[in-house]
Amino acid sequence: MSAFLSSAFMHNIFGGLAQGVIYSLVALSLVIIWQSTHVLNFAQGAMAMFATYIGMSEIDRGVGYWWCVIISVVVGMALGGATERVLIRPLYGKPEINPIVVMVGFLGVLEALAAAIWTSTTRNITEPFSQIYFQSNGHLVFLSSFVIFQIVLAIGIMLFMAGLFRFTKLGLQLRASALAPEVSRLLGVRVSRMLTIGWILSAGVGSIAAVIIASGSFGLFPTNMDGIFVASFIAAAVGGLESPIGAVAGGLIIGLVEQFILAYWSPNVAPLSGIIILVIVLMIRPQGLFTKHTTRRV
Amino acid sequence: MSWWKSLRSQETTHSRLLGVLLLTLLTLAITFILPPVADSELAGGAAIAIVILGLSWLTGWSGQISLGNSGFMAVGAYAAGIWAHHHATTPLVFTFVLAIIIGGISGLIIAIPSTRLHGPYLAGMTLAFSAAVTPLAQNFTSVTGGEGGIFLNSLVTPKWFAHFFSGQNAAINANAQWTADLAVVTAGVAFFFMANLFHSRSGRAMRLVRDNDVAAELMGVNLSRTRTMAFVVSAAFAGLGGALYSLLEATVRPETFPLTLSITLLTLMVLGGIGTLSGAVIGGIIFSFSANLVAHVNSLTGVNPTSNLGANMQGIIFGVLLILTMLFAPRGLVSVATPLRRLFRTRPQKTQPEQVH
Repeated sequence: MSAFLSSAFMHNIFGGLAQGVIYSLVALSLVIIWQSTHVLNFAQGAMAMFATYIGMSEIDRGVGYWWCVIISVVVGMALGGATERVLIRPLYGKPEINPIVVMVGFLGVLEALAAAIWTSTTRNITEPFSQIYFQSNGHLVFLSSFVIFQIVLAIGIMLFMAGLFRFTKLGLQLRASALAPEVSRLLGVRVSRMLTIGWILSAGVGSIAAVIIASGSFGLFPTNMDGIFVASFIAAAVGGLESPIGAVAGGLIIGLVEQFILAYWSPNVAPLSGIIILVIVLMIRPQGLFTKHTTRRV
Repeated sequence: MSWWKSLRSQETTHSRLLGVLLLTLLTLAITFILPPVADSELAGGAAIAIVILGLSWLTGWSGQISLGNSGFMAVGAYAAGIWAHHHATTPLVFTFVLAIIIGGISGLIIAIPSTRLHGPYLAGMTLAFSAAVTPLAQNFTSVTGGEGGIFLNSLVTPKWFAHFFSGQNAAINANAQWTADLAVVTAGVAFFFMANLFHSRSGRAMRLVRDNDVAAELMGVNLSRTRTMAFVVSAAFAGLGGALYSLLEATVRPETFPLTLSITLLTLMVLGGIGTLSGAVIGGIIFSFSANLVAHVNSLTGVNPTSNLGANMQGIIFGVLLILTMLFAPRGLVSVATPLRRLFRTRPQKTQPEQVH
């Protein structure tokens, strides 16, 4: 058993899953925003990066790691809510490219500001968990306590979000205002407040992903979420952009495929792996793997 | 030759030819006045204006948006660079044509799955493409030269042109200006082609698809072919602009085409005015001035240009401008000029289709 766990194959499985859960988290956050406001938030990764910088800078003042995590997530959520109110609200009812352009601009501002304030050199945060692989009977098992923390936290957040949307009154209101805003408004749901709450929750999920990424070997730098955003967008698109479960599954698929292309084909073509998957999925099922209805908005 | 007929304008082309020709000649005259440094900045602006025009056509006339045009620029630049590296004697025109063709083909490859998509999907897909181009160029070192890139021979000034220059640094000045003039003429040709395309049958079909795709389909417009065509033309323009830009820099290397270049292109297009020729010209002019502009802002605000803030000032300014323009003046600087133009108009104004922005 331990020989199997320490095989190269399992190394890739664990590596792919660890990366995949991050993609799943960011993809989930994209889907939450997409469902509520039909905006693809191109600044999602940059917003999370910025919040992580603000939170993690507190380490320099002697604040403990876990407090910094909490600060990052709270700042991220506040940023998400403010973004919806200030940048997105004026654009409801405008052509769908307008919010895209604004969020691309916001992405540029955040990355340039982060580089201006904290420099563009990578900051490594001494994470609270060891990255050294476990050993079992003298064999390396390709899991470290950090990887386990990463996977457990991500799954925990996903379950929390699923519970929130499924079993709470707030979740019901959020789903109702995404599905039928007019009817919800008539029934007494404060739809515009729900949209803001959707953005806040989404930004919170994104910030947790950014905190995990910053705490790992990848580190924190102004553009550290660019590649993750692209992979997560592909994950969300593969899942259909409408489906939270699809986003999570898409994230895991992208993480694993990327890892296996890297290991068994060529690291040179690895940057293309996401596009290849997206093209194949879109050719076969343009509406995504997990979307039930196929109607198109005209 | 039916494809040519569909690209050619149905209306008279004389006024447009005259307009583009006058602007080109005016710009050429300006290059004679400007110092060599400004000449090369202007040449860079001309190259970028070509790319902006392609993007503007895609966004303004077909309603699609691309964050991948920095990637198409890279494809065109590498196609031209690799060819020129092995066949140094090829005339420049053929190298440019190659960049246009390869750029267009790369656009076609991205367009085929993407035209089933709309808005956000397409933007994300093109973003994924331009994010992949830089690492690919870095990885395939044997073809692309990796991080260092490919060095290009700078242009040779023809003898008759060099005669205009004398005194100190005559050869250098002549070369800077010859390069700038070449870039301006290339941009002029590209603008003339696009001016015709705007008013051609394809252009009108494109507008119909943008405004109401169901109606367009009912009238017999092939939606996916029209959208694909818009995308291919946009990518071909980006390919030409990228090749020209790299020629001016005398190198093709990955760091010329970062993801942020796509944001810059988008900013310049939106600032100038989406879907117009003059908007692309304005965008190119702003690009030429951007280095000076940023230096000016730095000195006005007392920011040290070598500090972190100073080095990232351009990104901050461009991002803020993009957001503000989109929120408050989505039609760009061109819309500021419209009331001015009315003052000088003697004929009754032609009714123009409502722009959807």
